Amino acid sequence: MLKRLQLPVILLLLAGGFWLSPDFKTISAGVAIFLFGMLSLEQGFNAFTGGLLERVLKRATSSHLRSLGFGLVSTAIMQSSSLVSVIAISFLSAGLISLAAGIGIVFGANLGTTTGAWLIAGFGLKVDIARYALPMLVFGIVLLFQPGSKLKGAGSILCGLGFLFLGIHYMKEGFEAFKSTIDLARYSVSGYPGVFLFMLTGIFATVVMQSSHATLVLIITALAAQQITYENALALAIGANIGTTITAMLSALNATASGKRLAGAHLIFNLVTALISVALIFQLVELVDWSAAKLGIASTDYTLKLAVFHTIFNLGGVLIMLPFITPLVVFLERVIPERVPEVDQPRYLSSASAEFPDTAIEAVKNETQRIFDEALDIIASGMGLLKDASSSKVRLATDFKGKPLLGEGSIDAMYEKHIKSIYSAILVFISDTEFSRKQGHAVALQWLREANVQIVEAIKDTKHLQKNLQRFMVSDNPDIRNGYNRIRRHVAAILQDIADTRLEKDGVMDMLALDALKLTIDEHRNAMIDEVTRLIASRKISSQMGSSLLNDSAYAHDVSMNLVLAAQTLFGAAEPELLHAARAVTLDDNDRGTILDETV
Amino acid sequence: MKLKKLARKLEDFLDADARERKEHRDEMKVLLRKMKDKEKSLLAKALVEFDEKRLDALRKQIDMVHAQRKKGINALKELTKKRKQ
Repeated sequence: MLKRLQLPVILLLLAGGFWLSPDFKTISAGVAIFLFGMLSLEQGFNAFTGGLLERVLKRATSSHLRSLGFGLVSTAIMQSSSLVSVIAISFLSAGLISLAAGIGIVFGANLGTTTGAWLIAGFGLKVDIARYALPMLVFGIVLLFQPGSKLKGAGSILCGLGFLFLGIHYMKEGFEAFKSTIDLARYSVSGYPGVFLFMLTGIFATVVMQSSHATLVLIITALAAQQITYENALALAIGANIGTTITAMLSALNATASGKRLAGAHLIFNLVTALISVALIFQLVELVDWSAAKLGIASTDYTLKLAVFHTIFNLGGVLIMLPFITPLVVFLERVIPERVPEVDQPRYLSSASAEFPDTAIEAVKNETQRIFDEALDIIASGMGLLKDASSSKVRLATDFKGKPLLGEGSIDAMYEKHIKSIYSAILVFISDTEFSRKQGHAVALQWLREANVQIVEAIKDTKHLQKNLQRFMVSDNPDIRNGYNRIRRHVAAILQDIADTRLEKDGVMDMLALDALKLTIDEHRNAMIDEVTRLIASRKISSQMGSSLLNDSAYAHDVSMNLVLAAQTLFGAAEPELLHAARAVTLDDNDRGTILDETV
Repeated sequence: MKLKKLARKLEDFLDADARERKEHRDEMKVLLRKMKDKEKSLLAKALVEFDEKRLDALRKQIDMVHAQRKKGINALKELTKKRKQ
């Protein structure tokens, strides 16, 4: 009920404000244009995330300091800690980075956000910023109309910056004009009551505007127009820091456990920082005065001093919390545990991982890998094969008399428990994800979807095969037993080869190496046809046995081929930059037929 | 000649389709180089292998890599032909 009322109340309040004061209208328009600029910037940077972000993140998060550095630099460039937090949550949900790395990024983002205050106080207020905004908007729009995602992205970034500057300009103008009608500084409150009141105001403003950057710009422009006192502005800045974590917490409500943990870490960091800043606010003010003097900032330049304060209290928070990242991870994993469901559920698919093409592909790849590994176990069990846990060697279970294979019900039960939910979730996730702006991403997801279908087909064919396998493995006829053992040995060899190839970890070269298995599978099929024909002709097996063996060797062919095709997709996905080319050179049925004919 | 090369580079930059074809060509070249190295290493292994079964497996792999390389070279020729058109 409250949530539904929120929007109409805000709109009504704004409408009332516009009617009462045209200057309030100018300030609000400035905020709106600023926020639009931030959206535009985010959109622009998204165009450049394909592949590059993943490669940079993987290298940049190998230690706490590197993660911190990544968060700091990316936020300073993109001027949006929300975007960097969203990236961190997406990559964490997709399993691309660890929680510790995600926390490091969020800490760095908090520090990076302080550059915004410097830009606005040091540059935005000192020059006629609209002069720079207008040409940016013109060039940005021209680029937006160009074909090609990179040019459009550059256009969005330029437009974003232009709107950012224009927003600041209108807020400045609005507050300057406002001064002549109402002097808000008369309502200032000093001492700790003022600190708490304005801190709460800062939290409220940030939650409403969903942006600590926008709140900070408002604070700085209001301070420049002397509409608020310096002391109250500091409290507002602390409040803005806390407010931004509340929006992150709200968006993490639907995230995976890891997303919730990261939002929790963000909240803890900002609360600790705020508590320390509030407790030591007057001491911090002295530290700011000292630092400002060292930096050559005039004692009356309150906007720059606010920027110094913002940097100092965030830096202090980072220095205090950095050594506690590991204990924080342990704490969060204990307090927000992963639910252990009765039926396996997806771990990596969430709205967070669906945010970016790279994270969506990685999430689907990780889930596909999970069901692929489960499928190998199910198929091995179904065929009476044993996997040596320590060496991953696959061998035949030798004694079946009196020791039945996995019953038919068991393959179904294993499928229901380990595969079905994840498989369904993957299909829904892929169909809901729209990455039409870069065809490569849509194609990558399509290949992964095919891989999922192949894995499930392999399990279903094993179930069909198992019916006769159970019957004929205990037959008195040695030739039919040998025939089925030959099928089992063949499938065991395929599973072994897939496991061995995976150990190479050579990306697309592993994918291409699996083409050799396809040749082996085709050769085995041909050999089985010849063998069954010979056995029937020599009356060593009946025609019914022969037809069963032929049908089941066809099932085994399909099981093996589907597993190899799925493995190729998964191994190739480890090297996405060469995947397109690799798929163009993999051997199709005709190519394999030619090689087999040449061999004969 | 330099102007032609510059014009082609400008076209690749401004034309999204041309840029994508160039990316595919570059990908294919990198992959073909990797496959050439792979084929060479398999041939070297085959030269010192005396076990019949392993030698047979190596020959199969060499035939396969060779067939894949041939396919890749033809694909690269097609991409280059499209660019010239």
